[in-house]
Amino acid sequence: MKRIFKFLSSIKLAIILLIILAAASILGTLIPQGRSLEEYTARYGMLSGALIKLQLTTLYHSVWYLALLFFFALNIIVCTLTRLSAKLNRASRPKVESEAKALQALKNKDRIKRNAPLQAAQAETVARLKASRYKIRTSAAGNRVSLLARKRIAGIFGSDVVHVGLLVILSGGVISGLTSVRQNLEMREGQVVSIPATDFSLRLDKFTTLYYPDGSVKTWISDLTVLEGDRTVLTRKVEVNRPLNYKGFNFYQTSYGYNWDSPAVEIGAKKKSDPAYAKKVKVKVGERALLDDKDQLTVSVVRFLPDFVLGEGNQPETRSLQPNNPAALVEGFRGGEKIITGWVFANYPDWDQMHSANAKDKAAPTDLVFQLKSFEAGQFSVLEAAKDPGVPLIWIGCVLVMAGFGLAFYWPTWEIKAVFEETQGKTDIVLGGLAAKSRESFAVEFEAVAADLRRSK
Amino acid sequence: MSESTLFGLAFILFCLAALVYLAFQFSKKSSLANVGFWIAAAGLTSHTAALIFRTISSGHAPFTNMFESMSFLAWAILLAFLIIDRKYKIPRIGAYILLIVIGIVALASTPLMPKEATPLVPALQSYWLWLHVSVTMLGEAFFAVAFIASIMYLTAKEPEKKDKMDSVGYRCVAVGFPLFTLGGLIFGMVWAYKAWGTYWSWDPKEVWSLITWIVFALYLHTRIVMGWKGKRSAIIALIGFLAALFTYFGVNYLLAGLHSYA
Repeated sequence: MKRIFKFLSSIKLAIILLIILAAASILGTLIPQGRSLEEYTARYGMLSGALIKLQLTTLYHSVWYLALLFFFALNIIVCTLTRLSAKLNRASRPKVESEAKALQALKNKDRIKRNAPLQAAQAETVARLKASRYKIRTSAAGNRVSLLARKRIAGIFGSDVVHVGLLVILSGGVISGLTSVRQNLEMREGQVVSIPATDFSLRLDKFTTLYYPDGSVKTWISDLTVLEGDRTVLTRKVEVNRPLNYKGFNFYQTSYGYNWDSPAVEIGAKKKSDPAYAKKVKVKVGERALLDDKDQLTVSVVRFLPDFVLGEGNQPETRSLQPNNPAALVEGFRGGEKIITGWVFANYPDWDQMHSANAKDKAAPTDLVFQLKSFEAGQFSVLEAAKDPGVPLIWIGCVLVMAGFGLAFYWPTWEIKAVFEETQGKTDIVLGGLAAKSRESFAVEFEAVAADLRRSK
Repeated sequence: MSESTLFGLAFILFCLAALVYLAFQFSKKSSLANVGFWIAAAGLTSHTAALIFRTISSGHAPFTNMFESMSFLAWAILLAFLIIDRKYKIPRIGAYILLIVIGIVALASTPLMPKEATPLVPALQSYWLWLHVSVTMLGEAFFAVAFIASIMYLTAKEPEKKDKMDSVGYRCVAVGFPLFTLGGLIFGMVWAYKAWGTYWSWDPKEVWSLITWIVFALYLHTRIVMGWKGKRSAIIALIGFLAALFTYFGVNYLLAGLHSYA
């Protein structure tokens, strides 16, 4: 038991764990995480099964990585506790008595002979050290007085505060892992979504995408209303970096999408023989609309692709869900007879791909030209609802870590010890100084104190 | 004066300062070290003005593409060096620092790097961009000075010089580590939480910041608790800076993730 405890509290274990954690973390950045089985098979072939079995494909959530973190936490707890009791003793019940010989062995040391009785020399020393903000304790034994002066004693707890902060962060992470809820919400304007396990729902009133002059997205704005039953609780605009917080849930704007289910398309018609001829009509995909009453001309849109590309086997398909190259497959009818069919492109209005619907007449170009004038598709907002009860602990831990760094690096504990010994009305002062941090500045201060004591009468 | 004039002027001053520091290296005249310091400081001022001009004209923080971020890194490294030099007098490493700064600025200025300030994607429109990137880079800049000090430690022969470089290396880590923790990890977590709804998503850039952090944690523990100094400390500081460098560059080019834009 004692040996286990000793092992857990050793700095060696801490070093080994840090190295293993770093190595494991590197491995996780080299193997893509959380991809599909097909991707791993394509990438690693025979090895993929072993990788998945060893949880190397979900490494940071694997049992063994979590076990590493657990041992890391345990090591921090044991280390901190074992060192803490000694430090608390040092802070609250320090050893004041010193041997002159022991002080002479310190890095900063001095010896001053004062032509004054002990009490006077001691009072001068105390006054000088107090002026430099030292807190002073003394203890007398016979004709000898020991003095311990310290400042910024809290500095010795810096590393402990950092370690406690790390533990708080780790526990926040555990709570997040066990209790956080995340859900993707794809919302259309007007849609109401009830948030699971709560008494409220969310309505998207309006979704706006703003663009820069170069056409890239500047921002997405979702006007959201929180509803409790039928009651409107609040209305807020949500943007990227500006989430809505309500009852422990955060709603984030993450993305947007086009709803290509039934876009409305505006089709224009021209005649090569008659430049004055121009007709247009709005039609939904899959529907047919009258274009020209006189000619008994109707048009139907068979298919719409937002990002037209010729894929495998020269088959039209869409490359993405973004309207980069919108195209519609249009059929024209005169009376009941299909006279023309072909793809029209919004970005290339003069692209004449039209041909007669009748295979025999393919050589004979038609007089009619269709154009894809415009299209309207609803945009939907992609939001994320997240509830993470671990988050407050994370922030508390972060504050502790930074406060601990402040103490550890910039609140150096300094100690000056002195032994006074009186012989025949003269006092021999032996000074010793100890600083674990900022030794150079301490040496300057120590020498200044010694010089002042030497000068005083 | 325009941004590019100021940037060019800064570059010329950096080269001049490097030459003066090199001359100091050989002649050991302390007046030369002083001249080098002030020329470098003038270069830094000019560079600062260029960064301010760019911020005004683009309307956003001057570190949103590779050119801008490298230019800012060079600025931060020089600033870190000048601060450390004022405090601990290390003109000996001035020439190397300036060569690195010149190297980064030159690399940033190659035609391969897109220079135009492009509009910010929605995720980057936040004041956390300022806090996260500037504090992280400043921390990395101190790691860079520690890196140079460590190399100097490993190559130096005189014990007095070695001692100085060892202590300067530690000082730089003592400044860089808290800055890196605050900017890279903590501000990064806060921003991620605000933008993506999760403070940590094991994205390669996040993981590599953590790895960098672990290396410097090792540096501090081996040094303070186990009493390692000198050679072993210097080697850990070297590895730490290389990890920081990989977090900054390598992850962008070699590993894909959420941080694809910077």
